[in-house]
Amino acid sequence: MMSSKVVLFFLPCILCSLIISLTLLIIFCILTDMGKEESPKFNKRTTRSSSSTTPNSKTTSEASKTTTNHTQSLSINDLIFGGESITLDKLISSFPGRRSQILELISLLGPQNSPMIPLFVYGGASTGKTNIVLQIFKHLNRPFIYCSCVTCYNPRILFESILNQLLLHSKNKSNGYLSAKRCEKPSDFINLLHEALSTLLDSLKGDLGESNSKKLSTQVNGKMVYLVFDHIELVREWDKSSIILPFLFNLYDILKMPEVGLIFLSKTSPDTFQSDPPFPVYFPDYTEDDLRQIFMKEQANLKLYSSFLDLVLIPFCRITRQIDELSAAFTPLFKKYCEPLDDLQTLPNEDTKRKLFSHLQPFISLFLNETFSVPSQPLLNASANIDRTNRKSIAKKLGIDDSSDVIDFHMSTSAKCLLISAFLASRNPSTLDASLFDSTGGCDGRKRRRKNSNKSMDQKETKAHELLLKGPGTFPLERLLAIFQCISSAAEYSSDGVELQNGYIGVEGCDAGLMSDILLQLSSLCNANFISRGGTCPLEGSVRYRSTVSEDMALKVARSLKFPLSRYLYR
Amino acid sequence: MGQEKAAVEAQMILRRRLCNPSFIFSIFSQSPDSNYSKLKYIISSSVTEASNNSVLLLGPRGCGKTAVLDLVLEELVEEHAEMVTVIKLNGLLHSDDNCALKEIARQLCLENQLLFSKMASFDDNSLFLLSMLRECGLAHKTIIFVLDEFDLFAQGKQRLLYSLLDAMQSVTSQAVVVGVSCRLDADQLLEKRVRSRFSHRKLLFLPSSREDLQRVLEHVLLLPTDSRLPQDYTATFNAKLLKLLADDKFKEIIDTLSYSDSTVGHLVRFLFHAVSHMNLNSGGFLSLEIFKAALPSLQRQPKLEGLKDCSILELYILVCMKRLEVKELESINFNSIMKEYKSVHDTFRTSDYYARKVCLRAFEHLIECALISFEDNKGHGQSVEFRPVKLLITWHELYQGLKSYNFCPSILHRLMDREGVSAV
Repeated sequence: MMSSKVVLFFLPCILCSLIISLTLLIIFCILTDMGKEESPKFNKRTTRSSSSTTPNSKTTSEASKTTTNHTQSLSINDLIFGGESITLDKLISSFPGRRSQILELISLLGPQNSPMIPLFVYGGASTGKTNIVLQIFKHLNRPFIYCSCVTCYNPRILFESILNQLLLHSKNKSNGYLSAKRCEKPSDFINLLHEALSTLLDSLKGDLGESNSKKLSTQVNGKMVYLVFDHIELVREWDKSSIILPFLFNLYDILKMPEVGLIFLSKTSPDTFQSDPPFPVYFPDYTEDDLRQIFMKEQANLKLYSSFLDLVLIPFCRITRQIDELSAAFTPLFKKYCEPLDDLQTLPNEDTKRKLFSHLQPFISLFLNETFSVPSQPLLNASANIDRTNRKSIAKKLGIDDSSDVIDFHMSTSAKCLLISAFLASRNPSTLDASLFDSTGGCDGRKRRRKNSNKSMDQKETKAHELLLKGPGTFPLERLLAIFQCISSAAEYSSDGVELQNGYIGVEGCDAGLMSDILLQLSSLCNANFISRGGTCPLEGSVRYRSTVSEDMALKVARSLKFPLSRYLYR
Repeated sequence: MGQEKAAVEAQMILRRRLCNPSFIFSIFSQSPDSNYSKLKYIISSSVTEASNNSVLLLGPRGCGKTAVLDLVLEELVEEHAEMVTVIKLNGLLHSDDNCALKEIARQLCLENQLLFSKMASFDDNSLFLLSMLRECGLAHKTIIFVLDEFDLFAQGKQRLLYSLLDAMQSVTSQAVVVGVSCRLDADQLLEKRVRSRFSHRKLLFLPSSREDLQRVLEHVLLLPTDSRLPQDYTATFNAKLLKLLADDKFKEIIDTLSYSDSTVGHLVRFLFHAVSHMNLNSGGFLSLEIFKAALPSLQRQPKLEGLKDCSILELYILVCMKRLEVKELESINFNSIMKEYKSVHDTFRTSDYYARKVCLRAFEHLIECALISFEDNKGHGQSVEFRPVKLLITWHELYQGLKSYNFCPSILHRLMDREGVSAV
């Protein structure tokens, strides 16, 4: 009886949501259709690094090519890197400090048409794994398929992306942006993959026979196909990783096709995987000498930059040797370094070097204690010139950081109040709420805290230690709302008309109206990760929250409201 | 054919052999008491005597279970072409009962030129399987079911195993179930109703002995004399190789290799590395140096490599964590590490004292390289600073890492030495 009632009650809701989701879906489809028509298609294999080594010219030519080829079907030639092949010397010289790794990989890939056991290439972030592997294929001109587990974030997308590339299928308007084959399970995938690979290999063999006679039909080398899986470490976080990972690692044995080469790229070492990874190839981090060579590449004034590197490279290498973080720190520093110079082309002598050094000295220690936050790039710029956008945004950031008291985002007053009350609720013990927020607005609470016995000092120490270990406490919604009400009224009381230009709204007047607003604010604060929504309390059954903002941040927010936060903080 | 061309050709031959497990394990097919002969006897007798049978092949990975089975099946299909149908399933792909039955139906249809329907339900497929088993039994055809990664089929309700083994209890059917697993206790995973229907035939595949490995080496690496290669090149290559195989230093290398893992699969990986570097370093012949160079690439120590990639600040954090660990605190998190870091700085006046957010960045990098990890996965709401962490390297590894680090500050060595005394 009960359940049927519940079903009856929920039925309209379900129907409603179904209709809404359907309309949303339709709108979304239309929008994506429009978007696809307008934006040019990007090449499937422009990774961040390959686009940075061959800027603009390549992407534009690629874009024009794909737009002209839009309706035409892809051919086997699209499976190789395209463009002119590079020589081994150029390959090695374009990656300083990676000579042995490149040679190792090339010898493991072996001569044309020779089978290979699966490889597991690993090394820290920004050590050139992806780029080197792709450029090696450019050098060898062999057909390969690249898929990154970042963009293919679940098995289905990964499988379909591989099949699409193998079947030379491109999503476009005429096929409704659908994949060539629909497959979700590994068992279906392996059958389809087998099929696709054998047709592709057959056509490769056929092509080879033809090209012997007329030579110009194809530039594809060999009849092996290589599958490159990038960011394989992300698969560990997938739902069915315990099945998918061993499946991918054993793919070679399951397929039993010697014409297929598998390469896995990972950021983490083989021992972090549950199942045995294939043959390991290690890319170590760059040494200081390698870093120097890399930074010296593509610099206008080599002498000047090298004297700059003499100063900064060693201290910064004590913190990190990751090239992306270092380059993010060095670009603004170099600008500072060049500030006293009139002409950037001058060759520095000892005197100017000394002058520049004394100019730079204070900034080095300042920058050492800054985090080198690399801002996330907007999606469209991903294949454009990344370095330039990086530089700009960092410069912008540095401009803001000079005035560190200002919060660098906009927030409504009530949201700020909510943030402060959440912070207070997390930091203060709930038993003290009554004394802190009585009618006198917290003054009484201060008096009580004056008396300090030895015992309470000890207690305080353990409390501080606990706070360090456990972090901010959790609180129920009711407590947050109560504190919020107290704070907003107290702020009004203490600032009595003086702070009215802040646009402060009283709460008491329109309680019911504001209530829903506040809950909305709360959920948006949760989404912005200022407040985290924890699990439900087993005893009370209500959701508990936790404030995640640091004390500095809370003080900043309080200052912007002119709210005396420190008076309310229990220490 | 010039020397270089011959060398490339020889390398191709060797690589092709190393990537083909059937070739490698065909060496074991001659001796009468090998697993190959036993397995062949079991299966072929049940084919000829028209009986039901089941057998498990157990042993660690890389011992050639699947390769030997493939060899046996290949030969059986050649001998009794019309009488044998092989259905291959893999636990990684078909551990789901529904999937497995569908795949069985698909392969049966393919073998018997029937039309396979994708839309068929579980029930349809299982009925189809039963009737196929009956039909084949009447026609005296044997269906061989190969279940690779057998232990994965034993998860869940084991409906597939039950229905297969139950169908084999009748007189009309004629089938062999071969399970392959790297879990030695695979038959203990079975439910009672499945286990009672299973014949407890087990074939154990063990890592090879020293003599066997030597035989495999000769079998794989000696070039065939009847190939397109020039005779004199083959002769010199083989002579050099035989001399190398008899060399004590080479035997030492193989011993160190098999000390950690003496399976054939491990040896094959090792040989693959050596063979692919054949033309790069030593002019087309296999030499001791190549094998020596291949050894460290297989015996990797990822944690030490990770330590080498750390910056000095990250080493400080690791040493601070180790100090805290020795103190036996109940839990360690970023804040307590920072407290320790500050106290180290206060007592020793180090030059490496950086701001908190820089340290946090280094801390995150350490988590990324899996030198430290969070203690639990549940605290997603907590920010990083408060989540408890643990060290994933031992005191000894850290000590070794610091020693081999190029410009490690001496203060870290001193701190570690002191900890070592109190830890021991």
